[in-house]
Amino acid sequence: MNFFAASNITAGYGRKTIVNNLSFSMDSGCLLGILGANGSGKTTLLKAVCGILPHTGSCTLDGKILEKLSPRQLARHCSYIPQRSGISIDISVLDVVLMGCNPRLGLLERPTAAMKAEGRRALALVGLKDSEEKNYQTLSEGQKQLCILARTLCCQSRLLLLDEPESALDFHFRYRMLDILRNWLSDDRRAAIVTLHDPSLALNYCDILLLLSDGSVLGSLCPKEDSLEKMETMLQQIYGKISLAGFISRSGRKHLVMLNEETKQETDE
Amino acid sequence: MVSSTVKTKSLCAAGVFLTAALVVVSLFVGKYPLSIRELLDGNELQWRVFLTLRASRTLVGVIGGFALGTAGFVYQTVFHNPLASPDIIGVSSGASAGAAAGILFLSGATAVTVSSFAGALLAVVIVLGLSSLDRNGKKGTIVLAGIAVHSLAQTALMCLKMTADPERQLASIEYWIMGSLSGISSYSIAGNILLCILCLGVLFPLHRQIILLSGEEGETRMLGVSVGKLRLFVLLTATLAVSAVVSLTGLISFVGLLAPHGARLMTKNNRPGTMLLGGLLGSCLLTGADILARSAAAAELPVSIFTSLLGAPFLIILIIRRKSI
Repeated sequence: MNFFAASNITAGYGRKTIVNNLSFSMDSGCLLGILGANGSGKTTLLKAVCGILPHTGSCTLDGKILEKLSPRQLARHCSYIPQRSGISIDISVLDVVLMGCNPRLGLLERPTAAMKAEGRRALALVGLKDSEEKNYQTLSEGQKQLCILARTLCCQSRLLLLDEPESALDFHFRYRMLDILRNWLSDDRRAAIVTLHDPSLALNYCDILLLLSDGSVLGSLCPKEDSLEKMETMLQQIYGKISLAGFISRSGRKHLVMLNEETKQETDE
Repeated sequence: MVSSTVKTKSLCAAGVFLTAALVVVSLFVGKYPLSIRELLDGNELQWRVFLTLRASRTLVGVIGGFALGTAGFVYQTVFHNPLASPDIIGVSSGASAGAAAGILFLSGATAVTVSSFAGALLAVVIVLGLSSLDRNGKKGTIVLAGIAVHSLAQTALMCLKMTADPERQLASIEYWIMGSLSGISSYSIAGNILLCILCLGVLFPLHRQIILLSGEEGETRMLGVSVGKLRLFVLLTATLAVSAVVSLTGLISFVGLLAPHGARLMTKNNRPGTMLLGGLLGSCLLTGADILARSAAAAELPVSIFTSLLGAPFLIILIIRRKSI
């Protein structure tokens, strides 16, 4: 049995269906990336999986049906990082991170000293060690995203859902965030689903890539196993004329890079 | 650098000190002068004025202001709106319509208090009833329902004013709407004060949950919060506290808006200490305004004049100071 499975998910906004009868599954330890053009249903799919959007179909995590769980139980199993956090009040960075402990706390309980230490460790891990007393509103968008990642790590859930976590991050922190994610997945009973705008990042970090178009699955790829030709053919259905190239960095790490092959004339047309 | 916790504690201590000082002044200022010597000598009339009028009026100023300030903190946080106040869900309008009905059809100050409380409560019940029609329980639905109830209550108030006797009843309605602590005596406040304390006793332990409600709905839900239920409970509790105050005092403008802003601008955070400081600032504002209302002129003036006069410059100064930091 798969660690996580989404079966026949249909979701949308109002009467408009965005994601249509979509199914996929993954094993534990897996990082599943969702690729697709703008409006293909990536965010809608993530929101449906974590129950923020009403949907039909069901999601199962380690045998538990997520739709049957209360918000509190769900938060213990599954965490979600939105494209942009909606926190708009003056609040310290550490207090934001400690929000992640809420699923483990009673209604009137306050975070314990151990939880605060855990929050500080998470902040150090994402590179915000000296920012715990800073006002969250004064952070850059990238730092805010890292702070929310630290909060999510404090949730101690087993399924992470990340919606374009790299969008506000600079070059260095994009790789850092995905390295943190891969490290988090080294615990066997965890999995993560991430939507990414940057296909090169997805090709280098994800175990499986789910390709979405108009709310349906075009197909899936395993970048570590599939041939460049197969991946090029599949990705061209989303991104148009592209090519893939493999490079080995000076540190000896193999990287895949996606290159745009459309000429200026073709773009103008 | 002074840590934010130490700073917040110091500000709260200053707030307590200022409130205590205003309490002392409030107990001895008014049309009928009281002196400590006469009270110590056991002057019966002085003691009667002290206990039945001055002490109860001061108590309502302190507890009422604290409740308005705390409720303002809750509304602004939950609605993510710096302009949110009890008016946003129609409670003040409901109280006004209830008070007008009490002035027209019932007799006695206690009856007006009870009917305005009933009006405020009815407004809350209708707002919550309407918002529950939206199964997702979005906060926008609560605001829209509040606007609808506010309009309905205003219409009811206009109709009641049309039928009021212009000499006596209409003036009473207008005076009630302007807000005053002049009609308060020890006979009429016990229930309202107890309700206020009870609501505050519920809200403060829920501070962490209130802060969680400041996020986007989906994000907050994924932190294990039953957003719809918790938001309804917190808003209902804050609104009950406000209803208990305005049914005694009439409409008090600016306190619920200004006090939490003042607290936030001073502490620059939203920790429990800031919520407490918001309450203390509310106490200072209402008690201070009431002292001025009864001492600035020969006749007693509406308290809202002074809450606005004290509040507006204070807010402007704080905003200017904040920009320079």
